[in-house]
Amino acid sequence: MTETYAVELQDVVKQFGNVVAVNHVSLQIRDGEFFSLLGPSGCGKTTTLRMIAGFEMPTSGAIYIQGDRQGYRPANKRPVNTVFQNYALFPHMTVAENIAFGMEMRKTPKDEVKRRVAEVLDMVRLGQMANRKPKQLSGGQQQRIALARALVNRPEVLLLDEPLGALDLKLRKAMQIELKALQEDVGITFIYVTHDQEEALTMSDRIAVMNNGVVHQVGDPETIYEHPADRFVADFIGETNFIPVKVVSLAPEIVVELGSGEKVTAGWVEEGLSVGDRAVLSIRPEKMDLLELNEKPSNPSKDTALVNGKVTQLVYVGTDTRHTVALGDGTEVVVRLQNIYIGEEPWEIGEDAIVTWNAAHARILKE
Amino acid sequence: MSVPARFQSNDRWQQIKSKMGGWSLTTYGILAFAFLYLPILILVIFSFNDARSVSKWAGFTFDWYGKMFKDGQILLSIWNSLFLAIVSTIISTVLGTLAALGLERYRFRGKTAVDSMFYLPVIIPDIAMAIMLLLFFNMSGIGFTPWKVNFFGARLAVPYSVIIGHVAFNTSFVAIVVRARLAQMDRTLEEAASDLYANAWQTFRRVTLPMLMPGIVGGALLAFTLSLDDFVITFFTSGAGFNTLPVRVFGMIKKGVTPKINAVSTLMLAVSLTLVVISILLSRRSGDGDSVQMGF
Amino acid sequence: MERLRRHPELQAWLILAIPVIFLLIFFMAPLLIVFVYSFLERGKYGGVEWVFTLDNIRRVFDPLYFKTFLRSFYIAIVTTLITLGLGYPLAYFIAKSPPNRRGALLFALMIPFWTNFLIRTYAWLTLLRTHTGLINVTLMNWGLLSKPLPLYGNDFAIILGLVYGWLPVMVLPIYAALERLDESLLEAARDLYASSGKAFWRVTWPLSLPGVVAGSMLVFIPSLGAFVTPAILGGGKSLMIGNIISNQFLGAHDWPFGSALSMVMMIAMLAATLIYFRWTKKSESSL
Repeated sequence: MTETYAVELQDVVKQFGNVVAVNHVSLQIRDGEFFSLLGPSGCGKTTTLRMIAGFEMPTSGAIYIQGDRQGYRPANKRPVNTVFQNYALFPHMTVAENIAFGMEMRKTPKDEVKRRVAEVLDMVRLGQMANRKPKQLSGGQQQRIALARALVNRPEVLLLDEPLGALDLKLRKAMQIELKALQEDVGITFIYVTHDQEEALTMSDRIAVMNNGVVHQVGDPETIYEHPADRFVADFIGETNFIPVKVVSLAPEIVVELGSGEKVTAGWVEEGLSVGDRAVLSIRPEKMDLLELNEKPSNPSKDTALVNGKVTQLVYVGTDTRHTVALGDGTEVVVRLQNIYIGEEPWEIGEDAIVTWNAAHARILKE
Repeated sequence: MSVPARFQSNDRWQQIKSKMGGWSLTTYGILAFAFLYLPILILVIFSFNDARSVSKWAGFTFDWYGKMFKDGQILLSIWNSLFLAIVSTIISTVLGTLAALGLERYRFRGKTAVDSMFYLPVIIPDIAMAIMLLLFFNMSGIGFTPWKVNFFGARLAVPYSVIIGHVAFNTSFVAIVVRARLAQMDRTLEEAASDLYANAWQTFRRVTLPMLMPGIVGGALLAFTLSLDDFVITFFTSGAGFNTLPVRVFGMIKKGVTPKINAVSTLMLAVSLTLVVISILLSRRSGDGDSVQMGF
Repeated sequence: MERLRRHPELQAWLILAIPVIFLLIFFMAPLLIVFVYSFLERGKYGGVEWVFTLDNIRRVFDPLYFKTFLRSFYIAIVTTLITLGLGYPLAYFIAKSPPNRRGALLFALMIPFWTNFLIRTYAWLTLLRTHTGLINVTLMNWGLLSKPLPLYGNDFAIILGLVYGWLPVMVLPIYAALERLDESLLEAARDLYASSGKAFWRVTWPLSLPGVVAGSMLVFIPSLGAFVTPAILGGGKSLMIGNIISNQFLGAHDWPFGSALSMVMMIAMLAATLIYFRWTKKSESSL
């Protein structure tokens, strides 16, 4: 190993009976990073987090924290702390006792415990709540106490298991910003489990997208959104059109044939596809545009896709209008056009149109 | 007004019907509670009757209570009952709590069998349990050897067989109550403790046990009450000459009905009532609003 | 320590060892003894002769004793039905009271239950006795009766005592089921044109069935094995199986026969319990 990561997973597998919850996962999480594990429920993200925390032991593979192999080391001997989904605040202890618990277990001197409890309560702006019981606090306050209880121990890594899941939308948005700011402030590595893609995209430095126990892609939010590595990622993150195609050529340029027989070029093709294979062309609705038949450029660049279609549905959603267009073979695609043009004639249902996009935005993925 | 008369009367009829439903239910409720309380109330009233009869009122007196507290046999049986209840409660609370922890928290081969074994003493009627134990103590040679002890100045001789018998049925009841509490308990709390550097023992001591306390106290109170109330198992497992208060009362009833039995009964009633009130106050104090479960 | 942590099964047995060993010795072994004794010959002065025989089991089915067995079943079933009839509306009444009053009502229900069973039975004895019981004495004093009613020393007295003793146990599980019942289900039934009676039979009753079944079991089993109630209210004439069993140990010194009687009784109860679990499973899956 050349670099020491905050957390490194090497080929980790976790089985519960016959069910494989985590399937050969390898991850490198850098120091000070805000790293998210994103995926639908049951994808293995929480199990992965629990293995790092030490609540579950991997069936095979190794977990390193700051270069230290963890093996069967129990949770109480690991330099990480967890913020639980339901907060798991001890109901029989006051807020201050909850926060002091970890330091007490580590035999921190009493006056230092007192000082640090006060400090961290100040940080989460709940100083006046020190002697309350968790039950007397609101959901948002409990969430901040759970955070304080973990952070006060100055862990190498903070593990957060859908910590905002129980909050209402508005509070959630506010806490997202607060959490991100806090993380930048304290500089601790955060590993954040969520099923909310928007949350992951806005907060994370890097994201690992998981499904069925497998990591599909690791990257920064922009990469994940703009350059999804496979069909699952493209589908799970944001909205995408999948157009069935056949691969015609891979070099010098990538050309695919649509169901209608029209050929278009694409910017990227997933590994493992060869000429003649069936595949899908993935393109985001906002990357496409519609042209009137008479607007068709006479001498288009080869990077511009021009495909015939017919408008079948219009849905006005405020900032933009979603145009559903049926292509020649009946495949429907959604084109989002921003409502910025004044006085322009809107599209009508039944109208013929040319769907156009830049080949760089089109990605050819396995079916 | 403009509403047709037909609808008005229909309205009134509906109103009367729903009111009558409510009234008859309330009346029934009152009658049912009267059925539950009247016999006890009459029992208490006649403990103050200035005659030997428990059916004809002849004036008020405290005499029967005086006689009760002068009756050495009754006093001894009260001490026996208390000592037996305290000892068997302590033992069965420890055993029952251990059983609850083991059965609720782990999976292992043969768990179903162990599980059923802990339910059996609750299901089996006390008469069957009593004769089982009687045969066992007879056959095993443990016999009915008494534990001679000085309990607050009272010289008691409590057969080990009775103590063991009480523990045998109480353990299951404690286990059931504590298990119910454990099942409600959020397991992530224990994970949180270990995440915050507590080892297994510290987690148990600082989180599991305090969270479990209302269940343990509830189980102990249940065991104490059951032990104080038990007649059948004590009667059959004590050999000759050992009386708890219920055994003594049974003997007295067999000899004849007098207000003295009513006085003893009133005393026992007062004790039961106190225990129930204590359990409720404790469950309120436990803070998180869960009531201490008293059985079933 | 490391070994323990990795083997939770070992941990479980460590925790369970003492209570399990205790019950094995002081509960399972006695159960086994009763089983074995059922097949042995009686000794001269109590005790047993170690000779295998089926006579005891045969004798249980001798009409002389089997009649008592059937009577005990009859008494237990009638008791259960009456308790259910009285208990269901009471549970319904408590469940329909304002929430802030329910706790007090449940408390009031439980106080008699936590009062010593023997004492509660004795209370009825003072009321029911033929010539000196409060009911007959009072009614005759008022001139409403010329000769006392037969209230004591019969099945009526036993059933009354049992109903009184076990009523709270019937009410609790039914109340729990009714309390869980979502009020909007009833509103939905009314919305779909059900009268209040229909709504009750089609929604409330089926959803409260698990409580009814649980309550019935909790009443039926101890009623079948009753000992104290027939001993006190049966007046020495009306007996149940529990009294016959106890007689084998207290008077007749026929331990093997007493064992055989309790074995058959326990098997009958086990059968009832199994039917109960079958039934609840079925009623749950049909919901």
